Amino acid sequence: MAKLLIAEDEEQINDLVKKNLCLVGHECTQVFDGGAALDAALTEHFDLLILDVMLPGMSGFEVIKQLGDTPVIFVTAKNALSDRIKGLRLGADDYIVKPFEILELVERVDAVLRRTKSTAHSFEFSGVTVDLDGKRVYRDGSEVILTPKEFALLEAFITNRNLALSRDRLIYLVWTYDFDGDNRTVDIHVQRLRRKLGIESVLKTVYKTGYRLEV
Amino acid sequence: MKMRFWQKTYILTLTLFLACLYTGLFVLAYYTYERSSENTKNACVAEQSYIVMSFERDYEDITDSYSPSILMQSYVAHYGARGILLAFFEDGSAVCSGFKNTIVQENSGIVKTLRIDGEKYVVIHGTAADKYGFVYARYAGDLDDEFRSLIITYALVAAGVSVLLAVILLFILKKLSLPLEKLKSTTETIAGGDMTVAADETGNDEFSALAKSFNKMVGKVRCQMNELADDAHLKQRLVDNMAHEMRTPLTSIRGYAEYIEKAAVPDEEKNDAAGRIVTETDRLRKISEKILDTAFLRETAIERKKVDLCEVLQDTSEKLSQKAKARGITITVNAADSVVEGDVTLLSMLFCNLVENAIKACADGGNITLSYSGQTACVADDGKGMTPEQLTHITEPFYRTDKSRSRVEGGAGLGLALCSQIADSHSAKLRFESEVGKGTKVFIDFTTSQQL
Repeated sequence: MAKLLIAEDEEQINDLVKKNLCLVGHECTQVFDGGAALDAALTEHFDLLILDVMLPGMSGFEVIKQLGDTPVIFVTAKNALSDRIKGLRLGADDYIVKPFEILELVERVDAVLRRTKSTAHSFEFSGVTVDLDGKRVYRDGSEVILTPKEFALLEAFITNRNLALSRDRLIYLVWTYDFDGDNRTVDIHVQRLRRKLGIESVLKTVYKTGYRLEV
Repeated sequence: MKMRFWQKTYILTLTLFLACLYTGLFVLAYYTYERSSENTKNACVAEQSYIVMSFERDYEDITDSYSPSILMQSYVAHYGARGILLAFFEDGSAVCSGFKNTIVQENSGIVKTLRIDGEKYVVIHGTAADKYGFVYARYAGDLDDEFRSLIITYALVAAGVSVLLAVILLFILKKLSLPLEKLKSTTETIAGGDMTVAADETGNDEFSALAKSFNKMVGKVRCQMNELADDAHLKQRLVDNMAHEMRTPLTSIRGYAEYIEKAAVPDEEKNDAAGRIVTETDRLRKISEKILDTAFLRETAIERKKVDLCEVLQDTSEKLSQKAKARGITITVNAADSVVEGDVTLLSMLFCNLVENAIKACADGGNITLSYSGQTACVADDGKGMTPEQLTHITEPFYRTDKSRSRVEGGAGLGLALCSQIADSHSAKLRFESEVGKGTKVFIDFTTSQQL
């Protein structure tokens, strides 16, 4: 979906970020120090740069100063307010503090990309085409009418595809604050979505965890 | 009412001075007046006796045809024209008088000043030609006038001097208290938090001495503040570093666990993630063990026994020879039999740490030498070396000269902090010599006084 550059000196964390972002359909390039990050970002086009602040050679702050207009999400172990403000002031689009949740990272990457990436936004799987900008869904070419909540649910699954979403997480993502039902509400909406789009085989129930869209 | 020191001094000095000045002038004027009135009296007495003498002479010369009262009248008239009043008495009643008012005869020899018609006169009572009472009075008002004009002159002069003094004193006191004012404004600046200013030390009086000791005090305080700040800074860096060291493996562990839980991936991927969790957990364990070790060493006194250091060095070399060989590094031990007092486990931990560091610093095929001579053990390598800046930080916990590399090699960043703790507990000193590109030497000086 998007081309990402991951600059993080901790191999384990770099791999972790890469694995998860690849799962939700992004194309990732890994670098392990500041100089390499700057070189890569200047020679090749990336939709988003995930940049650790404490990089060997050249700190993340220095990298962003010399960077063009590539969107940046800072990853930092420092929770200090001054660091976050410094990052944002230098032009970062968002920041994420270690230790972070994978789903949070995916959400933030998606949010920044939605803001900054101008290309048409649509997604296809198992005969279903989703126009994310126009908020329309087609099944085998003919339009299916979804309620706003159903569409939001589908969008959450697409953004976090191949990752299991708990019912709580879905409530947080789809219903946000105006939720007065219980977990059953989520189940009912998922059932309706499966039936309307005929995606029972890919929108799976994950035992004890929640639901997962596997594509 | 709040008054400044110089204002108090000013008012006190001025009051005191003016009091002295006016008292002095008054006393002087009074004395002068007394003296001149005494002189006048004396002159009057002399004149009176002269008049009496000439009257007696004339009285003897008069003939019967010439009545004494005529002589008296001529005297009264003659002296009356010159401002001198005379009166003659016979048997207590006035025979002839130049006085406008009645005058009473008193005992002979009385000299006094009297007011007659509001004017001041010196009056002398006496006798003339044995049988006549004689009163003499001379105008003395000019004495008072003189005294009055003298007082006025003095008062004018005193007022002029007072004004002049007030101005000069004000000026001098202001100037004298200027260093104090300056010092005050300096202390206010410092109290405001600006420690960079210094008091003016010029001059050679108490104020400059005060300024000097004040500056000395400020210097001391500043020094201590800097020390405290440095200390706090170091501690903050330590906590930051530790938080970072702990957070990195925690992020991995949490992330990979979440990955296993949520991601739709094949089993091999999940196994790989589980393996990573194990690795990261080990790393966390290592860090916590080292932290505990350092804390333990700090809190506990070690048990000292005689240890053959040569043996410790040999053991260390053997223990790490596998690791060294894998990278083609040679470890040479160069020590004669030598005994120090200490804990064998801790000492071998110390040397293991140092040799491990040396192996990390060496390029493939490098050399490491362990030696001991004259109370000093040495671990030398011919690796990449360190800059002086790095050398100052290496014994801080979690400091890494090259963070990405040493972490790949599995260090916790606590090795040298632990080493310096061990050295401390053996009353030994850790000393580093290093040159970039040439290698590093670590010396452990066992101090003789504490050893054996």
